[in-house]
Amino acid sequence: MKSTTRRVGLLATVSVAALALTACSGGGGGASDGATTGTLNFYTDKAAWEPDFDTLSETSSSDVDIELNTTGYSDANQYDAFIRQSFRTNKSPGLFSWHTGSSLKELVDENLVAETTDIWDKAIADGYVSEDLKKYYTIDGKQYCVPMNIAYWIMYYNKTIFDENGLEKPTTWDELMQDAATLKANGVTPFYQTSVLFTFPWFQQLVAGTDPELYNGLSTGEVKYTDPRVVDIMNVWLDQQNKGWFSDAGSTTDPAVMLKQGDMAMINFGSFFGASLDAAGMTQGTDYDFFVIPAVNSDVDPNAVAVETGPLCTAENSPQRDLGMAFAEWWMSPDAQSAWSEARGDVPFNPKATVANEALSELGTSVATDDQLVERYFEATPTPILTVALEQFGAFNANPGDPLPFLQKIQDAADAYWADQGADQK
Amino acid sequence: MSRRRDSTSYQWSARGFIAPGVILVAVLLYAPLLWTTYLSFTEYNGLGDPDWVGLANYGAMFADPEFFGSLGNTLLWVAGTLIVPVGLGLGLALLTFDLKGGIWLRLPFLIPYAISGIGVGLIWSFILQSDGALDQALALVGVVDPPRWLLDAPLNTVVMILASSWQGVGVNALLFTIGLQSIPKEPLEAARLDGARGARLFGSILWPMLRPLTAVVIGLSIVASLKTFDIVQGMTKGGPGRASETLALTMYKDTFVNSDYGLGSAIAVFLTIVTLVASVLYLRQQLSKKNEI
Amino acid sequence: MSRSIRTAVLIVAGIIWLLPVYLLVINAAKSPADFTSKEAWLPNGFALFENMSDALSLSGLGDAVFSTLIYSVVSPIIAVLVGAAAGFAIVALRLKHGFAWFVVIFGGTVFPLQMVLIPLFDGYSRVGLFDTRLGMVLVYTAISVPFSAFVMRNFFSGIAHNVFEAAVVDGASTLRIFLRVYIPMAMSALVAIFILQATFVWNDLLLGLTLSQSDDVRPIVTTLSGMQSTYGGAQLSTVLAAGILVSLPTVVLFLFTQKFFAKGLALGQY
Repeated sequence: MKSTTRRVGLLATVSVAALALTACSGGGGGASDGATTGTLNFYTDKAAWEPDFDTLSETSSSDVDIELNTTGYSDANQYDAFIRQSFRTNKSPGLFSWHTGSSLKELVDENLVAETTDIWDKAIADGYVSEDLKKYYTIDGKQYCVPMNIAYWIMYYNKTIFDENGLEKPTTWDELMQDAATLKANGVTPFYQTSVLFTFPWFQQLVAGTDPELYNGLSTGEVKYTDPRVVDIMNVWLDQQNKGWFSDAGSTTDPAVMLKQGDMAMINFGSFFGASLDAAGMTQGTDYDFFVIPAVNSDVDPNAVAVETGPLCTAENSPQRDLGMAFAEWWMSPDAQSAWSEARGDVPFNPKATVANEALSELGTSVATDDQLVERYFEATPTPILTVALEQFGAFNANPGDPLPFLQKIQDAADAYWADQGADQK
Repeated sequence: MSRRRDSTSYQWSARGFIAPGVILVAVLLYAPLLWTTYLSFTEYNGLGDPDWVGLANYGAMFADPEFFGSLGNTLLWVAGTLIVPVGLGLGLALLTFDLKGGIWLRLPFLIPYAISGIGVGLIWSFILQSDGALDQALALVGVVDPPRWLLDAPLNTVVMILASSWQGVGVNALLFTIGLQSIPKEPLEAARLDGARGARLFGSILWPMLRPLTAVVIGLSIVASLKTFDIVQGMTKGGPGRASETLALTMYKDTFVNSDYGLGSAIAVFLTIVTLVASVLYLRQQLSKKNEI
Repeated sequence: MSRSIRTAVLIVAGIIWLLPVYLLVINAAKSPADFTSKEAWLPNGFALFENMSDALSLSGLGDAVFSTLIYSVVSPIIAVLVGAAAGFAIVALRLKHGFAWFVVIFGGTVFPLQMVLIPLFDGYSRVGLFDTRLGMVLVYTAISVPFSAFVMRNFFSGIAHNVFEAAVVDGASTLRIFLRVYIPMAMSALVAIFILQATFVWNDLLLGLTLSQSDDVRPIVTTLSGMQSTYGGAQLSTVLAAGILVSLPTVVLFLFTQKFFAKGLALGQY
């Protein structure tokens, strides 16, 4: 009887192992079914945009007969894991949102995403998208994915507070610093900060605004975080911390609400933030406005503006590959971008699209003509380094002090990452 | 000895009764876990194929000083959860025991459990954040410089334990109440007639009778607190820096944020072993007597 | 302690316990445009129902309710019975190596759930269980079984073994003894486990997020959780209102079953 139990146990173990083995045997992705019209399953970590995509689906079904079936994930990290795993199954998506930078390169290195070079060539020839944007979608000379959204990292401010304190939009860094000092003297905290996730914008601003090459060097590993120039910049930040220029890092209130109730006068955020302020009951132009942050170092000309762009990709082995590519091509068109701008209220990347929001439209034009773009820190920094950097900037915001220990921890992660990359190259 | 023969005669039947549970758990929980264990010996980014690296991930795990900070926080959770929600739960069950309207008096403590995790995380960060609801209430009574609840360690872990206790006490009270209800009435009445009440009644009758239930509650608490994730992820994301991180968060971060499945899996395996050892040791000690009946 | 003092202590403690719920409700009732974090304790307007309907329309939650209801009723019922059967096998039937088998089942609960998500997704999509209600019911049942077995094993061990022997003498089969003798005796414990597990399943986020995608399979909390995000979406008061909306069924469940526990008090003697 004992042996029977054993046998049952063995059987269980074997079947369990078999299940595990099926789980690791090769990818199940079949070829595309070839359809270019129908219902396209679309996955995104921007779950809050689901209603906007549903609105857009009406336009796409009348224009190119493709209906979007959107599934939103609320946890961006789990979303990434889901997408990564899906390539190994027959569920690989015909359309999904992703990130530029190291995350995209990882997928391309494994030949997992469909190439979009033709779509890009055509779109650029038609003037649907700027050359500038192309480099974020280019890996080894080929393009992958199309841009879903574009956002510039700028300064939003509470207009009422600025008016009360007799302040105008600053046009130089010194003016901005002067405004901050005035606000502080009048009992208003100048800037927003947090201790989780969005801990990087001020670092990004200070470094890119001081020396864009230094900023780019950090993301390629050519510059160390412990470089004296970086330490100097951190000390500028520390000095501002000591002056009490930043909001309480322990606040978890929605930053839009904080700006509304005057917890601080300014917040450095992506140009999608206006929608949050609108939802919090503020009106653009009367209650709030925004400006491009002037360069820290006036020698930096043109001024560096951080840009964030998220791709829409198609899995190479998706059953809906052709459908996804057809959608991507349509997505580049002015019709699609006008409809998207209408639905989302965002800046469209297509200059020929009609922009619903006048102020954002002007921002897009002025950045395109006056400024140089740098990739947002979040995408520019390889993920394992980013994770540590976000933690360390958060710790710095919570307990400002000698910057070197914080930078050293980030550099340790960077050393480990680049050593690993070097090893992989060989 | 005759008892032994009795029991063997039902072995086949017993296997039939236990089989569904074992099969469900084996296929849906252990099989995935095996895969995870395999991954812990590999380097794998979720794409392509895992590369076998032996014990490298375990080496990396123990070499990271932050890992021990995370382990320390996790142990703090275990200790805190045993003291606060289990202790209060028992107290609550005893207070409401035999009380008219006891079920209604217990209700306020049960409602938090019914509230979804999102709601609990949101409302407690609303309360505990700087200048949040708690600080505002303290300001009314003249406290102008309150502690930085969520920014300073280990205070942030302590207040999060209290927040999670808010949700958990009612369940523990409910489990203890089931235990109290199942105590036979006769010895209880007899002891009461003898004049036993309060602490003596508790010590002589209630506590010994409650022991199996206490074992359940404490056992579940140990397991649950070792896995603490939701509330920390909801309130501090382990920060500032990594000051309030627990092992489950470290594992999550390595796996889902950094896509370092191997390291994440190694932490998960370590956590699983710790939990399993803790619960087996604990259960053996608590339940072995019962087992021999 | 006298009964009146006990009652007084409990009332005061209960009120303190409900303060966060008070905060939840009054802040969920503030209109997003009027919301500030400065006056947390003061009610300000009553837009609770507007916020709830905003939440409903934002998340398109209608379909999710039905499937979530299935998961949170069916899975816990199966799990309670499976767990009770395991407890019965170990305690009443004295399964050999019962403790080891018990540890095997209980072991299903010791590792963090996040760790099995990825393999589960992979396995599910290979065998066609991904994004099906059956798949969801199965996984919810599996994770509910260890808790259920744990409690039931302990509960049954409080029952004298001669209850079993007496039933055997009467000529009853083991299945009959299980269903007619042990299950009825354990009703209050079974219901308690059911409620706790139903609440857990109802509020589950992780599994729903990973193992389902279509609107009519995805559970309710998964649908709701995407509402608040940095990239726009709902304001805090709307999300809080959504939280209340989702929690209402489980709160009501607790209210109703409390009465059942009161009956259990009378039944729980053996």
